[in-house]
Amino acid sequence: MQALPGKLLRLHFTERDRYQGKPLHEAIIEKCRELQISGATVFRGLEGYGEMAEIHRSHVLRHDLPIVVQIVDTPETIERLIPLLEPMMDRGLIAVSDVSMIRVHKTKDTGAA
Amino acid sequence: MLQKGAAKKVTIYVNEDTQRHLAPLYESVLSFLMSKGVAGATATRALAGFGAHGVLHTPKVEALSEHLSIRIEFVESAARVNELLPTLYEMITDGLIEVQDTTIVKAAMKDKHAPESNQPHTRQAGSAKMMRIYLGEADRWHGEPLYDAIVKQLRLMDISGATVYRGILGYGAKGHTHKQSFFHVSKDLPIMISVVESEEKLKVAAEAVENMLEDGLIVMSDVEIVRLIRSMPEEITDAGSPR
Repeated sequence: MQALPGKLLRLHFTERDRYQGKPLHEAIIEKCRELQISGATVFRGLEGYGEMAEIHRSHVLRHDLPIVVQIVDTPETIERLIPLLEPMMDRGLIAVSDVSMIRVHKTKDTGAA
Repeated sequence: MLQKGAAKKVTIYVNEDTQRHLAPLYESVLSFLMSKGVAGATATRALAGFGAHGVLHTPKVEALSEHLSIRIEFVESAARVNELLPTLYEMITDGLIEVQDTTIVKAAMKDKHAPESNQPHTRQAGSAKMMRIYLGEADRWHGEPLYDAIVKQLRLMDISGATVYRGILGYGAKGHTHKQSFFHVSKDLPIMISVVESEEKLKVAAEAVENMLEDGLIVMSDVEIVRLIRSMPEEITDAGSPR
C-alpha cells in the first residue's frame, strides 16, 4: 500500500445549474475527461440550501436538488483544474482539502487478487 | 462478557461415569465453572471413543455405552484460564485437560440485561481520520455487492460507522462513464463509502479494504470530531432493540 499526497476537490451547486445548455454536472464530467483527470463522481443530495437561501427539495416538476462533484487527484492537477472549472460555475462553492490517496488497480494484473 | 481478540479455549475429556463427591464429574466441573463466573461452558456426550484405558466405548454394546466420553469446552481470557486451571487439575482425576489459543471473533449477547456488549462506540471528540472509498455499484465480492461486503467487513473490525453513497454520474479507475437517464436504469453507478474513525483503526481497515477492492480509490483525510451524539444505554435496553 502506498499512500500518495493528493487533494480532494468538491464543487457544490444545484441540479438546475447549466453550462452551454446542458446540466452543469454533466459538463464538468466531460471537461474532466477531456483534461484526463483520473476520476470524478457526482452525488445528488436529498435536501439542502445554499447561498441563495432557498431550500432545495425534490418537486414533481422541478429538479433543483443539491449536487456535489468530487474529484481526487494530485495537488498539481487539482490546482490546474480549479481555474478551468471555476468559469463554468455561475454560482456555487468550491472546496479543497488535503488527503492521502491509495489507488487500487488490479484488473491489469494477472488477477492475483 | 468476553472481549474480542486473543483468548484460550479449554477442552476437558472425562468419562460420563467418573464420579466426584457422589455426582458425575462433568457436572461438578460445570458447576465449578459456573460458580467462577465463566461466560459459558458446553458439555457434549461422545458418539463413540476410547481413552487412556484402551476400551473402545461404543453405543453398540450396551454394557460399554454407559462409559462414553464427555467433552467439556469453554473459552476465557488467558488470565482467567490460568486462575481456573489449578482447581481443574485437582478435579480431573481421570481424563484429559487441553488448552489452546483461540481468537474470539464475536461474543454477542441477546439479552435485556446485557451489561455493555452493545457499545462499540469508543470514539471521542477530537482529531480523527476520514476514509472515503470509491468503487462501482456493479463490483462484486464472492457473489455479493462489494459495497455490502466492505460494510460488513468494517463492522467485523469494530469500525464505529460507515455510510454508502450512490452517485448519479461519474467515471474512475475503469474508465467508463457511469450514467443513468430516464430511459436507461444503470446498475453500475459510482459508489462512495465514507468512514470516520481513529487513525490506528482506519489504517488496519484500509488494508483490508484494499485487498477487497479490484479497481478503485481509497482517500484519507484529517477530520475533527466535534461531538458524538448517541442515546444512553438505558434507553437502548428499554426500547428492547439493542442497536
